Parts: sequence; structure tokens; C-alpha cells
Amino acid sequence: MMRVARLGAAGALAAAALACASAESGREIVWWTPSWGQSRAEVLADKFEAAHPGVTVKLEVTVADGLPTRIQTALRSGAPPDLIEAQHGWVVPYAQANLVQPLDDVLEDRADYLPAALEYDTWNDRLWGVPFRIETHALFYNRGMFREAGLDPDKPPQTWPALVDAAKALTRAGSAGRRQYGYAITGGGEVGNTLFRTLPLIWMNGGDIISADLRRATVNARPAVEAVTFYTDMLTRHRVSPPSTLQDDGLAIRRLFVAESVAMYQSGPFDIAPIRSENPKLDLGVMMLPTPTGGAPAAALGGWSFIVPKDARQPDLAKTLVRFLAESENMGYFTDTFPARTSAMTLPRFADPILENFKRMLPHARRLPAHKNWLQIVQIYFDHVQRVLVGDVPAQRAMDEAAVEIDRLLAGP
Amino acid sequence: MTGVLFVLPALAVLALLIVYPVVNTGVLSVTNEQGAFVALANYEAVAEGRLTATAVLNTIYFVGGSIVFQVVLGTLVGILLNQQFRGRAFLRSVTLIPWVVPGIVAATIWAWMLHSEVGIVNHLLTSGGLVNRSVGWLTDPDIVMPALIAINVWKLFPFVAIMVLAGLQTVPNELYESARVDGASFRDEIRHVMLPQIRPVLISVTLLLTIWGLNAITIIYTITRGGPANRTLVMPIYIYRQAFEAFAFHQAAALSAVFFLFSLVLVVLYLRVFAVQEGRP
Repeated sequence: MMRVARLGAAGALAAAALACASAESGREIVWWTPSWGQSRAEVLADKFEAAHPGVTVKLEVTVADGLPTRIQTALRSGAPPDLIEAQHGWVVPYAQANLVQPLDDVLEDRADYLPAALEYDTWNDRLWGVPFRIETHALFYNRGMFREAGLDPDKPPQTWPALVDAAKALTRAGSAGRRQYGYAITGGGEVGNTLFRTLPLIWMNGGDIISADLRRATVNARPAVEAVTFYTDMLTRHRVSPPSTLQDDGLAIRRLFVAESVAMYQSGPFDIAPIRSENPKLDLGVMMLPTPTGGAPAAALGGWSFIVPKDARQPDLAKTLVRFLAESENMGYFTDTFPARTSAMTLPRFADPILENFKRMLPHARRLPAHKNWLQIVQIYFDHVQRVLVGDVPAQRAMDEAAVEIDRLLAGP
Repeated sequence: MTGVLFVLPALAVLALLIVYPVVNTGVLSVTNEQGAFVALANYEAVAEGRLTATAVLNTIYFVGGSIVFQVVLGTLVGILLNQQFRGRAFLRSVTLIPWVVPGIVAATIWAWMLHSEVGIVNHLLTSGGLVNRSVGWLTDPDIVMPALIAINVWKLFPFVAIMVLAGLQTVPNELYESARVDGASFRDEIRHVMLPQIRPVLISVTLLLTIWGLNAITIIYTITRGGPANRTLVMPIYIYRQAFEAFAFHQAAALSAVFFLFSLVLVVLYLRVFAVQEGRP
């Protein structure tokens, strides 16, 4: 009996030792890549493996749902992957929490990058991520539905009041007998969907969620409340956003747009390819984001960076992979929207005329504030915006209560 | 001595997987970020939390509503499946499908079916003329929780049905025969023969459903994340958000401890009321 137990224990120990040994001698790096770029990531991973024999790149595909939480958990677990793609806005909070490695030595040709993108990933004079994809939102609109409603598709609305009027004109019984809506907003899904659609409005109106010195919440000041009211009114007052708003994220409103249930919605250039493939007959137009009367255009700079976790098992290999992916040609190939390097912008795929207004929004792009509790601040903000959408409270009161909670977070340890 | 050695591996696993996390959670709930002992400070913070009351009430609403319909529907279906009719075997298999489908898959499909614009449920209701405007199943704050309760009922009633069916198999035929001799109709048979016989089954099943319901997170988190505006925020989701979105582990631990005690009291009371009566001669 004891002999069997001893043999069994010895066997288990040997198996464990073998597993450990093989994990370290085979040079493997784990790369977390989101699902939408999976096929391109596979091509680049193969190219890298061919150029670096003996190295295997293991791709783990992630999805948007729950991604920020998943990455945070992995970074804090002590056993993270070697390379992760994260949105720019997440990078500095990770750095402030000491979860990622600085990548100053990885960056080549600093002058080629969009300064705003590099600044996004910079903290304490060091670079914590290498941006590869940048984009801002613009307004997609269905030119065919504009014509049907008697609007001129070549003269899209440029101010907030004009947008509301156009949306109302477009909210009617559609040609198929089904009700169509003028302007879809998001009210559900991941927080980022609504943040990227409301924060530019607040900025255009001259306000912000938190003050520039990151000490106070300014989300209940007049410019911010006006912007939130403008946004939520689309559902609660003007009813130009479909009733499903509270469960819709960016993907859902794109689907509604493709099904021609909504005439306008805000999104980034990554939606162009899906729209064209899912409804090739749709006459697609893109307009710049309308501004409040007398306001200046603004947009949130979105996009993604490569980060290397502090506890990555193969940090040097991971940095080599980042250097490879940041080469102009590879970056231009990999990005869904625009590359962070100006030299890559000259690739033929970026010459499509539909991208024109997206490119014109880029100079007005601003980065999101960098506070280590930013993810929680945004969750509080989103909770209260939802309360307004549900009809619980008017915007001012919701934002006042949000400000109280956000102030507590800003004052915290 | 050898007896202890036999039990040791199982004890070790139990200690690692159950005792250690529970004790660690208890320790987390009475310490702060720096590791210092702070007694009940975390519990106070939790009691004052903006969403704590909402989470508790929503949990009671969700669990209570689910159990009632799960037990009633499950029992009716179990009784039905006990009867003799053609296609009974097929129907028994089909009834199991909701229970067998993985939670996330079922939740995602239901979320799209209940979509106010492109969901098939609204499409059928409006084109069949049953309602004029599409129903906001997951967006209307008053309808969203009943909708989630309905999905939870759909998911778990097969379990009740199978348990009831198994219990009914043990009912001796003589009982039915003597009831019929006394002039009982089918309804009387259900009331006076079947239900008393499956009472122990129903008691255990309801207890299980209560525990599962209190811990249920998959369906609600997948479909609404606790929204809109925290209308469907239940305790497990609240604890998860505290721990893994706000990284306030100590407060999440305090919440878990409170929730554990709450569930424990509920279960003990339940057993007191129902199980003790069974033991009476």
C-alpha cells in the first residue's frame, strides 16, 4: 500500500518537473489579442516566428466584453501574458498601479508618431505603452434615408439644434412599414460605449468630467450637465433613439443602422468594413460630429497600445515582438482604423474617400484624463447617466450625486 | 492510524479549496489595505454603501419570484410527464434542454431574443397583433426584473420537473386505486395523493433552488450587467463589482460575509420550519 503511494507521488513529481522544464526551454510568448484583429494577428505572428526561429507566439483571443476587468485581473495575478493590447486610456492607470513595464527602449522613430498618442501613454516622463491604433468617432448617416425624409445628404447637420431637427425628421414610419429612428445613442453594454459618445459633447460645450488638475469632479457643472441632457434627451424627450437604447452598445446600434432601423449613429472607422459587408446597398455617409452652436469641435482620442506586463515571463522577447509590430508597414497592416505613425498613413488602404471626415476629426482629438481610479470614475458616471435614461432623475441631480461619489474617489488614497 | 491517512488527501483538498478561501475572506473583511486590523470598519462602509440596500432588495425579489414559478411550473410539468401518453419519452427529453444548455449561451440568446428592436419575441408579438408597440423587456425598469425571473424559471424548472417525476415514480399504485374507489377526480388525486407523497422532494428542491438563486450571477450579469441603472443588481454582482472592478477587496469580503450569514439564517429557518415537521411521528 505504502509502496503504491510512494510510486504515485514520485510519478506526480516527475510529471510536474517535466512540465516546468518544457515551459521554459521552448521560447514561447503569449499575446492577448482582441477578436476583431485575430486574422491579422495570426499573419503577423507567423511572420515574426519565421524571422525568429525557435520562438513561438501563442495567440489568445479576447473579446470586448469585460476586457478591462480581465486585463486588470491578469496583471494583478502575477502570471500575466507577455503582450497585451489595451486601450490608450487604460495604460497610464496600469503604470500608476505598477503593473506594466516601461517601453522607452522599444520605441523607434519617435517623431513619426502622433504626439497626442504618445502623450497618452506617457507618465512620469516614461513611455508605458506603444500606440499602434488611433481613431476618433464621427457620425455615420444613411444618405438614402436622408433623401426619403426630404433632407439633403450632401448638407448634413453641423450644430446640435440642427442634429435634433434632422433626427426628428428621420424618425417616422419607414418605407418597409417598420418604425425607423433618427439618431441612435447607446445606454447599455460596456461603459466605454457611452463614455466615448458623451465625453466629446461635454468637451465641445467647454466642460469635463473632472477638473484639469484631477482634484475635483466637474461633471455637475453647467457645461457638462447641458451636454448630458442633450444626449439623454435623444431618448427621453425627443424619442429619436430606439426604445432598446438602454440595452444597446456600439455593436447593437451598428446592427440597427445596418438593418436601416436608425438613420444616424456615432462610431469609429472600424465600423466601415462591417457595414459595407453586412449591407452593401446602404448608401453610407460620414459627417463630422456636430457642435453646440458656437462651440468648437472635439472628439475623444481612441485607440489601442501594446503593453508588456511587469510580471511577464519573457519580457525581452515581448519587447522584440512589439518592435516588430510597430514597424510602419506592420502597424499599417494591423490597425483597424488609423496607424499611430504618420509614415504608415500613406498606405493605399487609408486613401478611401469615406475616411475623409474621420481624418478631419483627428486634429481635434483629445486624450482622456489620467487618474488611477479613472475606470471607477467612469463607472460611476455611467451609472448615473443610465439613471437619467431610465427616467429616475433629471440630469442635474444625477450629475450632482455622481460628483459626490467621484470627489470621494479623487480624494482617496 | 491508517484511517486518518486515508482521509488526509480529501481533507487536504477540502482545506485548500474551501476552508482557506473562507477564512481568508473573513480575515480580509476585518483588515484594511495596509493589513491592519480594523474590526467592523469595512462592515460599516458596506452598510452605508449607496447600492447595498438596492442589491439586497433586488436579490430577495429575484430569488422569491424565481422560486415560486420554478416550483409551480416544475411540479405541474412533472405531474404531466408522469401520465401515460404517446411521445412521453420524447417530451421528457425535450423538457431537459433548458437545464442542459450552458448558462452563458442561454443568456446571450435570450438577450437577443428579447431585444426591443430586432428581437424575435417583439417581432412575433407585434406582427401577431398582440401588442401595439414593442415591449422594452430589458430596458423598461419595471419589466426587466420579471423578464430575468422568467429566464431563470425557464432555465431551472426542468430540474424541479425531473425531481418531481422521480418522486412520483415511488408512489405506489394502491394509493391511486383506493383514491379512485373513493370517487376522486384527477384534481383530487393530485391534491391528496401526489403532492403529499412528493412533499419531501419539494422541500429539498426548494432549498436547493434558494441556494442556487441566491448565488445566481450568470444570467443577470450576461444580460444586463446589473443594469439598467442598477435595477437588476443582485448581491453576487455587487460583490463581484466591488472586488474586481473597484478592487475594494476588503469591502467585498465584508459584503460576502454578510451575505453568507444572511443565506445561512435563511436556510436554517427553512429547515426548522419544513424539515422538522417531517420527523414528527
